[in-house]
Amino acid sequence: MIVPLISIILLAPLAAFAIFALLGLAKRNFPRQDYLSTVAMLAALGCSLLLIQEVVSDPKPITVEWLSLGSVTFSMGFYLDSVTVIMLIVVTLVSSLVHIFSIGYMHGDPRYSRFFAFLSLFSFSMLFLVVSDNLLGIYIGWELVGLCSYLLIGFWFEKDSAANACKKAFLTTRVGDIGMFIGMMMLFAEFGTLSLYGDSGIFEEVTTLESGQIAWLSVAGILIFCGAVGKSAQVPLHTWLPDAMEGPTPVSALIHAATMVAAGVYLVARMFPILTPTSSLVIAYVGGITALVAATIAIVRFDIKRVLAYSTVSQLGYMMLAIGAGSYVAGLFHLTTHAFFKALLFLGSGSVIHAFHAMHAHHDDEHAESDEHDDHSLVHEHGSEIPPDQDMRNMGGLRKKMPLTFITMLIATLSISGVPFVFSGFWSKDAILGGVLGQAMASNSPHYYILFGMALIAAGITAFYMFRLIFMTFFGEPRNQEMHDMAHESPWVMTVPLIVLAALSFPAVNILWFNENYIEPPPQHHIHSPQRVYVSPDSKTADANSGISLFGISEAEAAEDESGHDAEHASDGHHGHGPAHTIAMVLSICVAGLGILLSWLFYHKRRFSAEAVATTFRPAYNLFWNKYYFDEFYDGVLVALTVWKSRLFAGFDLSVVDGIVNGVGTVTRDVLAAFIGFFDNRVVDGLVNRVAAVTWSAGGRIRRIQTGAIQTYLFVVIGGIVLIILIFRLF
Amino acid sequence: MSLQHYLVISSILFSLGIFAVLTRKNAISILMGIELILNSCNLNFVAFSRFVTPAESIVGSEVFRFDGQIIAIFGIVLAAAEAAVFLAIILAIYREFGSIRPDEVDTLKG
Repeated sequence: MIVPLISIILLAPLAAFAIFALLGLAKRNFPRQDYLSTVAMLAALGCSLLLIQEVVSDPKPITVEWLSLGSVTFSMGFYLDSVTVIMLIVVTLVSSLVHIFSIGYMHGDPRYSRFFAFLSLFSFSMLFLVVSDNLLGIYIGWELVGLCSYLLIGFWFEKDSAANACKKAFLTTRVGDIGMFIGMMMLFAEFGTLSLYGDSGIFEEVTTLESGQIAWLSVAGILIFCGAVGKSAQVPLHTWLPDAMEGPTPVSALIHAATMVAAGVYLVARMFPILTPTSSLVIAYVGGITALVAATIAIVRFDIKRVLAYSTVSQLGYMMLAIGAGSYVAGLFHLTTHAFFKALLFLGSGSVIHAFHAMHAHHDDEHAESDEHDDHSLVHEHGSEIPPDQDMRNMGGLRKKMPLTFITMLIATLSISGVPFVFSGFWSKDAILGGVLGQAMASNSPHYYILFGMALIAAGITAFYMFRLIFMTFFGEPRNQEMHDMAHESPWVMTVPLIVLAALSFPAVNILWFNENYIEPPPQHHIHSPQRVYVSPDSKTADANSGISLFGISEAEAAEDESGHDAEHASDGHHGHGPAHTIAMVLSICVAGLGILLSWLFYHKRRFSAEAVATTFRPAYNLFWNKYYFDEFYDGVLVALTVWKSRLFAGFDLSVVDGIVNGVGTVTRDVLAAFIGFFDNRVVDGLVNRVAAVTWSAGGRIRRIQTGAIQTYLFVVIGGIVLIILIFRLF
Repeated sequence: MSLQHYLVISSILFSLGIFAVLTRKNAISILMGIELILNSCNLNFVAFSRFVTPAESIVGSEVFRFDGQIIAIFGIVLAAAEAAVFLAIILAIYREFGSIRPDEVDTLKG
């Protein structure tokens, strides 16, 4: 049953794209590409839901041999475990809702059909990546995802900003991909296979490594993580993600929730068994720094989509931090909940933009979506323009105009901010915080205490800026009366996905994650640090009030460590974890409450002036405002270096290479060619001319024989015959 | 009448033909010379057929063969065809050059 289901999941979106592509060859359009793609996605969603029951406790990869080169065989196949199934559901669900939303949002776009075809291809790529059982398949899906994001971010390629953004996204992620490829090749060189599972898979082989090779494995792990840094927009390769906002808003939702950035987190989670303590720590630090940096940048943004973009970067940092701290499951859990509420936030912001945009379209009497960012921008932000319909300073008071959008976005905001107990975001964020603190207590390493602090601060800031967004957009008085008057609630194709996603932001719907038996813990080997704690879904620390089992922390799996780590440590660790979870939960509620309170005081009650605070802390404000100068750094250093290097090479080309070429040319022309010319003119031509002259003069003489008189010829003929007869008679 | 008589006559005819072809200034006369040559050949065929070809003895009687005579008849037919073509050519030459004297038709002169 698994194989047909998975075939439908993969082939349905691919077929939707293939129909578009094949008809495109004939310069035709499928009349309802939007329905075709949406139905394909819904079919994939249905099959994913059916797969829940199919996955057994001991999953086996389903593989076929793909190609063999010499003694090496590459196989292609699927690996279905509980994590895969949950990812499949998340991807197909979010993608389906984005499809439905796009029917309303993209209505009237000149490349309407193409948009849906690209969405289908995007979803297919991600699904392929998710189900692959080997690094080669993951890499193929990985690059396809990158390609699709390039196509979709640059969907409105008439705009220079979109064209630049898609190039930036493609090139920036490519930087990480190179690292990933090298890491893959290191594993391949060592193990001779790219398969992850099975008896000769990498995860099995990795247990045979000597302890001396662990440093090598750390490097491979970090290199593979580089790919995730690019794809999941971790510091320092995060700059492409905010720029990717140039794409249509449904694409932003898809990229941020289900497909593109989730790929990186998923990859790291998949590669969890090969992560050594060192690479785990690197991952955790990158994640922690990303969470903090992106959150602080988000505070000062005014573009509604950029706030959400930085919030995504920050939340992705959280997930990486979780995986790096060993809370493998918590990271994936947060990935899921985040997918739902972030898709909701983006689609909600799309709904707001659409409301304002309809006004623009009305004013300009044009319906082309590319008109969304027209030139007469009302506000300029430090030279970089914010489209007026995305500028939160033009919004305000929308809650009465767009009640559905408001309520659903509020639910998502409460979820992402970590408002306790009733919202799924709280549980997943709490799982991460508890996991990190538990790791800190178990390993007694200062690193994890620092990381826990960073995560906690980031959680507070997240609550602050998310409520800032809500207050600025939906509360208060309208700041731009003209735009406000034109705003309206979106059509049902756009609000229904919002409602569905809002429902998914409640924990009850994420039931699979709370089922302790559904998620399989990854295996532990001696290559992992003795201190490493695996955080499994465990109901031992269930919260009695909520009645839902939480993510506790199980024993430190110390039983698998042969040396020095016995039951004492395990029980020690276990004792540390219960409190860790409680402490983390209390602290996270506190910081979230603090963030919301501050936001309320600043942006709703206006008890404090944000401008005054900005003036007081001018250096910090400038740092956040300029996004830590990452873009300036890349422009000033990397781009400048590249340009300088190109100039250098151009100069080398122009002077040295061209000099050599021109020198050779001169020598050839003046020396060699002159000699050859002389030889040709004198010797060759002389011979030819002499032959001609001889022939000419000989011909002049011989032609006199030809008298033209026929009887002369006859006379010669007869004379010749007589002569021949005489000769034969005489001799 | 032996074979030699025929051959002498034939040789005389042939020589007269050659002479006419080489010396006459009129194309019609050349044609006549050619006819003499052809007929001398025909005469040879017939003469050799009569005197040289051995008679085959079929039981009880002698049978002569007529191969030479048949070839001579072919030759006569050939001469008639040749004369027709030759006269057509002469006509064309006359139209082109206004003369049928071979020594005046010398455009191929080198």
